[in-house]
Amino acid sequence: MIKFINASKWFNNHHVLKNINLEISKGEVVVICGPSGAGKSTLLRTINRLERIDDGEIVVDSKYLSDPKTNLTTLRAEIGMVFQHFNLYPHKTALKNITLAPCKVRGLTRKQARERALKLLERVGLLHRQDAFPSQLSGGEQQRVAIARSLAMEPKVMLFDEPTSALDPELITDVLDVMISLAKEGMTMVVVTHEIGFAQKVADRVVFMDAGEVLEVGCPPDIFINPQHERTREFMSKVFHIPIFTKPQEEGE
Amino acid sequence: MIITGIKITILLMAITSVTSLLLGTVVAIMRISRIKILRALGTIYVEIFRNIPGLFWVIFFYFIFPEILPFGWGARLNAYPNYPVVAGVMGLTVDNASYVSDILRSGRLAIPHGQREAAISSGLNRVQQYIYVLLPQMFRATLPPLGTRMVHNFKNTSLCMAITAPELTWATQQIESLTFRGIEATTMATLFYVGLAGVMASIIIILEKVLRIDIAKSAYQTRG
Repeated sequence: MIKFINASKWFNNHHVLKNINLEISKGEVVVICGPSGAGKSTLLRTINRLERIDDGEIVVDSKYLSDPKTNLTTLRAEIGMVFQHFNLYPHKTALKNITLAPCKVRGLTRKQARERALKLLERVGLLHRQDAFPSQLSGGEQQRVAIARSLAMEPKVMLFDEPTSALDPELITDVLDVMISLAKEGMTMVVVTHEIGFAQKVADRVVFMDAGEVLEVGCPPDIFINPQHERTREFMSKVFHIPIFTKPQEEGE
Repeated sequence: MIITGIKITILLMAITSVTSLLLGTVVAIMRISRIKILRALGTIYVEIFRNIPGLFWVIFFYFIFPEILPFGWGARLNAYPNYPVVAGVMGLTVDNASYVSDILRSGRLAIPHGQREAAISSGLNRVQQYIYVLLPQMFRATLPPLGTRMVHNFKNTSLCMAITAPELTWATQQIESLTFRGIEATTMATLFYVGLAGVMASIIIILEKVLRIDIAKSAYQTRG
């Protein structure tokens, strides 16, 4: 579904992505974690080309992003994206936020788009807030509307860029519940998050990044409890605030 | 004469408000475009038309513009009895559009980057991003200064007296010089100007309510 082949990116002299090789298959839920500045968000944003890579190749849905024949606008319609700061359109109500792209990009009639939007609002538990403007919604509500807005395009992949980082702890659960149910339905998801609980529950694989490199890829227990790499171990011990269990002593030690 | 003056003033105001808003929007989009040549052209436009007085442009379109047109179009324009009004519309439009474009550009700069990213990610193309996401927010964010600008433009219609467009100030002066009843004519004109400017201000306040500016602008800061 998504494939990075030796992808590299520089911001001026700063090498933000170093030779990334990663393959994400259909229906997989991949969590990207790591310290800030590691390039997690940048990596995510290269998938729908909000950021361009300078070297290597990215293939999404068997289309090469660097190929001039690839229609990026069409491809982006297939990739949902949820942002840290929600980015709802402040001049539109929750309902209108959701119906805009389906009407204009997918060519749905207003009635069809409205029906679809109402179903999604119900799903995220915000049917009663359909006529509210973003500024009248709490952060958690805004983020759930933002998820509904992406889902309304019936995307093949959903990208989440720290979707709960700007939220109060109490509101995080509502957003995570929506994401967990999505994951269980088989949506292909790439999630940049520090929510270890979410990762343990639904992630098929966890990618640990530091300083622009993918250091480790594995199933959640491997990365969280039994990391191979020194840097991962150090990070996880800080995340869990307790010394991480050391590996069973290997012979010779 | 004064009734004609009021009619022409309203006509000038109404037409130039619309045309300068359209031209100003186009220039503003040019100035924020990624294409260098468009950006340069937009900047040159603003610098030329904002830094030269509106009165000059009104006079320019009346006296000079017909002269520089090829194929005798100029002569045809000069023969057209309402050409002073047409020249006035052109002069006021290019002048006011330069301010409008700069106000709108400031509105674009006030929109956070994430808005455009959200629009891009949902598969909207460039034109759609502007029509449905960026322009509505630009107009909302700049409605108060835009409104002031439009009142200013309304007052600038009096510049057209310099090219004998029979608008209100011109009419007032004619009445004064023909009948010496300057006080009455000026009082009428004053009342009218104050009244219509008041109407414009009210329209802007109503627009702010209708567009729900209070609600629509504050969402960027919302957290948690």
